[in-house]
Amino acid sequence: MSKNIIVAAVLATTGALPAYADFPERPLQIVVPYSAGGSTDLGMRVVADAFERQFDGIQVVVRNQPGGGGAIGTSAAIHARPDGYTLGAGAQGPIAIKPHIGGADYVIDDVEFIGLFARSLQVMVACSDAPFSDYASFVAYAAETAPQIGNSGAGGANHISAEAFARAAHINVESIPFGGSSEARTACIGGHIDAMVASPAEARAAAEAGQMTPIFVMEEERIAMFPDTPTAVEMGVDFTWSSYKGLVAPRGLPDDVLEWLRDAVKQVAEDPEFIATMTEMGEFVTYEDGPAFEARVRADGEMAHAVLEELGLLGMNN
Amino acid sequence: MMDTLSYLAPLLQFKVILVIALGTLGGLVIGALPGLTATMGVALLIPLTFGMTPVMGINMLIGIYIGGIYGGCVSAILLRTPGTPASAATVLDGYPMAQRGEAGKALGMATISSAIGGLFAAVVLATLAPQLANIALKFGASEYFALALFGLTIIATLSGNLLKGAISGLLGILIACVGADPISGVMRYTFGIQGFSSGFAFTPALIGLFALSEVFTQIERLAGNEPAIKLVKDRWPSRQDMRESRGALIRGSLIGTLIGIIPGTGSGTASWISYNEARRTSKTPEKFGTGFAPGIAATESANNAVCASALIPLLALGIPGDVVTAVLMGGLMIQGLAPGPMLFQTNPEVIVGIFGGTFMATIFMFIFGMALIPVFSKILMVPRRLLTMAIVIFCFIGAFAINLNPIDLYTMVGFGVLGWGMQKFGFSQAALCIALILGPMMEANLRRGMLQAGDDVFVFLSGPITLLFLALTILSLCWPSIARHLARKTKA
Repeated sequence: MSKNIIVAAVLATTGALPAYADFPERPLQIVVPYSAGGSTDLGMRVVADAFERQFDGIQVVVRNQPGGGGAIGTSAAIHARPDGYTLGAGAQGPIAIKPHIGGADYVIDDVEFIGLFARSLQVMVACSDAPFSDYASFVAYAAETAPQIGNSGAGGANHISAEAFARAAHINVESIPFGGSSEARTACIGGHIDAMVASPAEARAAAEAGQMTPIFVMEEERIAMFPDTPTAVEMGVDFTWSSYKGLVAPRGLPDDVLEWLRDAVKQVAEDPEFIATMTEMGEFVTYEDGPAFEARVRADGEMAHAVLEELGLLGMNN
Repeated sequence: MMDTLSYLAPLLQFKVILVIALGTLGGLVIGALPGLTATMGVALLIPLTFGMTPVMGINMLIGIYIGGIYGGCVSAILLRTPGTPASAATVLDGYPMAQRGEAGKALGMATISSAIGGLFAAVVLATLAPQLANIALKFGASEYFALALFGLTIIATLSGNLLKGAISGLLGILIACVGADPISGVMRYTFGIQGFSSGFAFTPALIGLFALSEVFTQIERLAGNEPAIKLVKDRWPSRQDMRESRGALIRGSLIGTLIGIIPGTGSGTASWISYNEARRTSKTPEKFGTGFAPGIAATESANNAVCASALIPLLALGIPGDVVTAVLMGGLMIQGLAPGPMLFQTNPEVIVGIFGGTFMATIFMFIFGMALIPVFSKILMVPRRLLTMAIVIFCFIGAFAINLNPIDLYTMVGFGVLGWGMQKFGFSQAALCIALILGPMMEANLRRGMLQAGDDVFVFLSGPITLLFLALTILSLCWPSIARHLARKTKA
């Protein structure tokens, strides 16, 4: 009896190991480190949909493990069994920033980067009743008084990006943390803060309604959605920032599995229906392979490190 | 007028109405299961809406939302397990009623109240959305702080013994300090355990506090073999119940609608404030908490009013008032529709469709709710011992399902023991629950306000809304002595 089990187990494992053609044999799981319904979660659900459309008979399950600013779910994905069946949504905050603040039980070196399929562009906007309305008046105002810039949480991605910009532009800002981006957005539309960092999609709707005014775009070049809004780069400040949506996994995946996954992400990122849906959501669909994705995360991590050091938050929660 | 009618065309299709009905029914079941919340239901079904028209997709999600918030009352009344945080206050009177054998009537009262609150807020949504939405913009840090402070005074009137109530409330505020500091992000009292870095998870804590603690209490009692509860067959509240609940229903609907408009407060806050107001203004406040129908009327009308009125800032301003509406906003964005003032001009058919869908979902909720009461009530026919074991299992499943975080199971059990002890020694679990909801809101806004004002305390004494809530706070604290004084005067 027990012999049979051992034989079966051996057969099962050998059957599963050299498995380029066979992978995946069971549903893939993507761990999203945020609650269901946020932009990372929705993006991953669109990805899951595209996976199932591209590859016949494959199931992709999105699992939400929120908490700790994304550190809990990210840790779960990175410390999962490295068989390629458990993947993680590679979010900027938990992967590039959290390890520098502390309280996360992983570092960037623990992460295998599969691929990036969309970037979330960032726009600095002036809120209702703000004492400035374009880049020049913003910087002029900031020279006198530190503008209050809302963010979605201390040590989160848009806290770091606002502070990183201030550092690059040699101005002072006062960061006001809120419990999530929708709280910050509410305060911004209500005129309780001066500025915030927003996604192009939400900034455009609010700008059309006169609730927010775009100040500058955190890209190298102007973007289609805001042809009249300058970039920080063209105003002479060497600063770009975007967050991203990509897939990560634990280190140590079998080579063929990693290769399959990387090809799959590329294929998904080029799927027209996927591009259409993500674009509707305001994401900038682009494909970067594993090494390029990793380089991007490391660069962000270095910038975050410098900013956190200056703010005195480095290793705060270790 | 003609225009409005033509805007209704995308809504009034058999397919769309069917989807709203199914969404509402699905939401009802999700809400009734402890640990599955309306938020999860809405989020999980968003991918289904990719292929639907906007009116159909969004209304399905709204159906789930409305059904889900209502469904929470079922397990709260029958099992003392709030299916969603919104129905935690329903436990206070719903469960004692069910224990008396009047589960059907309690559920009936909850269903009617939910429908009334929901319809009231839907009317407000359809007629006054753009005008009222601006209230949402008036709330800055000091206003939120004052609102939370006012909310906390509920503890004084709700807990009977003032000293023990205050201890429970303060304990709740201390417990709410665990996790990342809302302003600096520093970890507090997590002892290096990553799972606590966002504090104790709220729903698992509630499940432990109310449901598991009750299981412990019952196990103590189970030494003798109690007979199963005999069910009174009624599902319609008596005329007297309705008469007594009239004030509670009106106030609940109003409070729910107003709180729903204020972003970031939500149905939990609304139902506690409404419960407190109903009790404070009642001629027989001592009956509250013993299975008194107006208690259910107050909480359920308020929490369903929040559903519809949370849509007001979302549609009129593009501001999501709670987690579910934030998810709905995501659903709209996927359809290429960014909520905000422009939507009224660019896609009026979507706005009208959502207004109409909210009415329909509320009506479906009423029909399904009333029809399913006999089925739900049957749960209580299960012998106590088996039911208790099943509740324990549900506690664990519910606490785990919400975040898939094993640490939440410890949270649930810990709060279960705490709740049992509090019940045994006469400390109010409700006071602890209120402090858990409002404590973090008060702290974050106090600190944010200080940060924004450059440490000037007087910012908390300025602005009409802030002053109004501070005045209400003082009034609410002094009310018992004022009432006593007035009573003495009328007697004399």
